[in-house]
Parts: sequence; C-alpha cells; structure tokens
Amino acid sequence: MSLPSLPSAPLGDLRGSAARWRRRHLLDRAMRWGLPLALLVVLFPLFDMIYWIAVRALPTFTWATLTTDQVGLGGGLYAMIVGSFTLLALATGFAAAVGIAAGMYTAEYAPPSIARWARVAGNLLAGIPAIVLGYFGYYALVLYTHWGYTTLAGGITLGVFMVPFVYRTADLAFANVPSEQREAALAMGARPGQYLVRVALPIALPAILSGVFLAMAIGLGETAPLLYTAGWSSTPVAGLFQPTSFLTGAIWNFYDYPSTEGSFQALAFQAAFLLLILVIGLNVVVQAVAERYRRRTRGMMA
Amino acid sequence: MTGPEPGPVGPEPILSVRHLSVRAPNRTILDDVSLDFCDREVAAIIGPSGCGKTTLVRSLNRMTEVAPGVRIEGSVRYRGEEIYDPRVNPVLVRQRIGMVFQRPVPFPLSIYENVAFGLRLQGIEEAEVDRTVRRSLEQAGLWKELDGDVERSGLTLSGGQQQRLCIARALAVKPRVLLLDEPAASLDPTATQRIEELIFDLRKEYAVIIVTHNMQQAARIANRTAFLYQGRLIEYSDTHQLFENPREKLTESYVTGRFG
Repeated sequence: MSLPSLPSAPLGDLRGSAARWRRRHLLDRAMRWGLPLALLVVLFPLFDMIYWIAVRALPTFTWATLTTDQVGLGGGLYAMIVGSFTLLALATGFAAAVGIAAGMYTAEYAPPSIARWARVAGNLLAGIPAIVLGYFGYYALVLYTHWGYTTLAGGITLGVFMVPFVYRTADLAFANVPSEQREAALAMGARPGQYLVRVALPIALPAILSGVFLAMAIGLGETAPLLYTAGWSSTPVAGLFQPTSFLTGAIWNFYDYPSTEGSFQALAFQAAFLLLILVIGLNVVVQAVAERYRRRTRGMMA
Repeated sequence: MTGPEPGPVGPEPILSVRHLSVRAPNRTILDDVSLDFCDREVAAIIGPSGCGKTTLVRSLNRMTEVAPGVRIEGSVRYRGEEIYDPRVNPVLVRQRIGMVFQRPVPFPLSIYENVAFGLRLQGIEEAEVDRTVRRSLEQAGLWKELDGDVERSGLTLSGGQQQRLCIARALAVKPRVLLLDEPAASLDPTATQRIEELIFDLRKEYAVIIVTHNMQQAARIANRTAFLYQGRLIEYSDTHQLFENPREKLTESYVTGRFG
C-alpha cells in the first residue's frame, strides 16, 4: 500500500540545519567503528597471549610433562602440579570456612554499623597488593613461627589472599535472600540459626559456590603470596611442614633462565599453558554454577 | 457463599488486645487499640492503606518486633496469657498463632518439606510428620489436586497453590489462631475463591483473623469486622451490622466507598 500523496509543504520544519545533520552523521559513523575497536583492544591481549603461550608450550608438551619430576634443567611439572593443588586445597579450605562464616555473620547477625564497617574492610583486604600479603606471610608464618618455608605457610597466606572474594560473595548471597523468606521462617517459629541453615543456605549456596570457584581461579594464578612462604622443592610435596614448588613459581623461576637448550624455558611455558587451561576451566564452572543459581531462584526474587 | 452469623461472644476470648500502641521512630502506627477475638470465628480487619491493619495482626504473634526500632506498648493476651511477658518465648507464641503473608512465600524446598518445616523445627518423629503433612495438605485442598505428588519443589506451584501451601504449612504446627495478611491480594478471582472457601472451612477449628483490602471479601467470610483508620480502631462489630448499619460516620463513609 502506498501512502497518499500529500500536498507539498514548505520544507525546513522537519529537517533542521544541514550542518548539524552532518555533524550527527559523522559522530554516528565514529561511534559505529570506535566502539567495536575498543572492544577489540580489550580482547586482543587475551587471544594474543593464549596464542603466544600455546605456540611455545605445545611442541614439547607431552603426557610426561604432567607426570615426571623436574630433573636437572628439564623434566616435567609433576611436583609443581601436586604442589599447586595442595596449596590450593589448603587455601580454599581456609578461605571457604572463614569467608562463609564471616559472610553469614555480616549478613544476618552483625549490627548495621559493624556490618558496614566490615564490608569496607573486606574490600580493602581484596585490594591489598599480593606481594605485601606475601611479605606479611613471610613475617608471620615463616619467621615468627620458626616454621621456615612450608606448604602450610604458603597455603594459609594464599588462603588469606582468597578470603575477601569468598567473604564478599557469601555476605551478598545471604543478604540477597528475600526478606519474606526470613519473615516466613521466623513466623513458623524458626530461630535465626535455623532459618540460616534450613532456608537461607540452600538459596545462597550456588552463589557462594561460584564465589569459592572464582577465588580458586584467582588463587591458582597467584605467585606473590607464595614466593616468600612456600619455598621451593624439585620433588613433590612431602608434608605440610616441608617446602613445595608450585606452577606459578615455575614461570617465575625458569622463564629468564639462561639455558642454551631452552628446556627450562619450555617448562615455564608449559606451566603457563597448564595454568591458563585450569583457570579457564574454573571460570567455566563459575558461569555454569551462576546460571544454575539464576534458574533456581527465579520466581523467588520476583 | 453467604456471610456467616457471629456466634455468641464466649466468656473467654482466645485473643484479647488492650491499649495496644505501636510506634516507629517518628510516627505512631497503632494508637491505643483494644478488641477481642473469639475462637472458631473469622474476624476481618479492614481500612485504607497505611491504617495499621498489617501492624495489628503482626503484633498478635510478635512479628512486629522483627523490624528494628519499633516500640510496642499495651497488652495482648492469648487465652489469658500475656504474649509480651519477658518470660514468654516468642517462638512458642508463633507456633500457637500462625501467620500467612500477602505474597506466597514457599521455601526453596519440596512441597512435602515446606509443610514439614515447622514440625522438623520441633523435632517431631518421622511417622507423625508424615501423617501431619498429609492431613495439612488435605485441609488446604492440595493433596487431591496434586495427586499426592509432593516431592517436587514448592516453587513450581501456581500462585494460588503456593498460597494454599503456605496455609498448609501454617496449619501443620497445629496453631489455635491463624493470621492471614491479605492472603488473596496477589491472586486471581478463581484462586481467591478457593482461598475464601478454605477460610470458611478453617473457621470450624480455628480462630481466623484476616486483613483485607476487599470489603466484599470481608462481608462474605467474616463473622466480625474491625475498621481501622489512621492507627485507631474506629468500629468493631458483627459484619452485617458494620456494613449495613454502622455506628460511626467514618465507617459509613468508608464502607460506602466515599474514601479509601
């Protein structure tokens, strides 16, 4: 259907000035190209880095890389893998236990003034440079305790580094439970503790878990909290009070090693590649858990 | 449904409110309210938004004090016992005097566990829990409707079913009084009718106190009706009288729709 032709009216009212129209047109053009370009600049380093590391790690990456100890200037990453996972397990245990309990207290029990102060302090702790925390760990857990460099000192220091991430998500997850749920539970004769365990925890758990996984992904990639606390060992971790090696340490120690054969450097790239895979994997888990959380609480948060 | 007749006022009301005032930091929500509620009757509380209806019912099972900064004065006696006595355990008060909220609030548990919630808190043994859950769901008209499929999540039910689930959950702990705060406000007419029928039945065993915005609803189901205005109790009498022959001018203007 065509529009009925209208008697021609003097133009101008609807057109505005030509110069202004041109300016807007140019601005639109600039935005149309500029914004995607900005996104490209954001994402480029990620893909460049993955490529750069894969190219150097993959040619020499074999099953043996994962299963053999470091020998002389070569060998595999076995000791570092075991060390990293031992440290991560200790750190996650510490961070999850302390972080969730503190989040529960902040969201449910703490007087508002204390809760506000604690949230600020938690954010502050998350912003402390890892190397400063590493030095604190060295002072408190290596020197003061007379333990020396130990797996336990490394695990706890890494745990302290991870705590604020768990704490923040746990606090938020409990605080985001709809207040009607709390009222309904109390009206059923539940005490605050019973409400927390039976109603709030199941609702908040997926969000808390995604916080824990996120903290694990961040902790797995950290070097600084471990450098002055966990020590180093070319054989797999022998006990909590023995030193241990770890994957990020391989990069730190081997990357600039003046080796003509280059196998030490290859080891550094293989460690970097493995870390990248693990961190990406953990992030995928975080997304999956978060999605599940959204689906589960739909209809409750309306 | 036709409106029920009010029974004779018994010698001992199940709940008796005397000089109840509730104050927030900068305003008075309830101002010197006194009235009695009888067993096995439905009492409706009506009034315009913000008149204190919700606060009044929440004060009857000590849910007002859940909000910080609220001061409560006066007395509420449950079968002669002061519920605001410092030696009284609010948890027990809330078990005797159950409450259902305006929006249905199923816990993120199965239908069965939702109803079992209060029983588990009391540590009641499994066989008894099982019997009570079934009977409560039957009372709320859900057992047949769901064909006994009570293992799925309570969140999967429709809004009206969720609200009846919440009523079943409140009934499971065997309260004597049931407080309903606009239980049908978020429901469609069919679901509302089912709730009203349910309330009509519940009257045979419980004292039901219902807050409602809907005057027709009050007229249909309540034996007695209280009219609140700006935190004060204006009139409390049997429903027919309140709607057809109110004593107070203010009540008359409200029930005839001149404001509200």
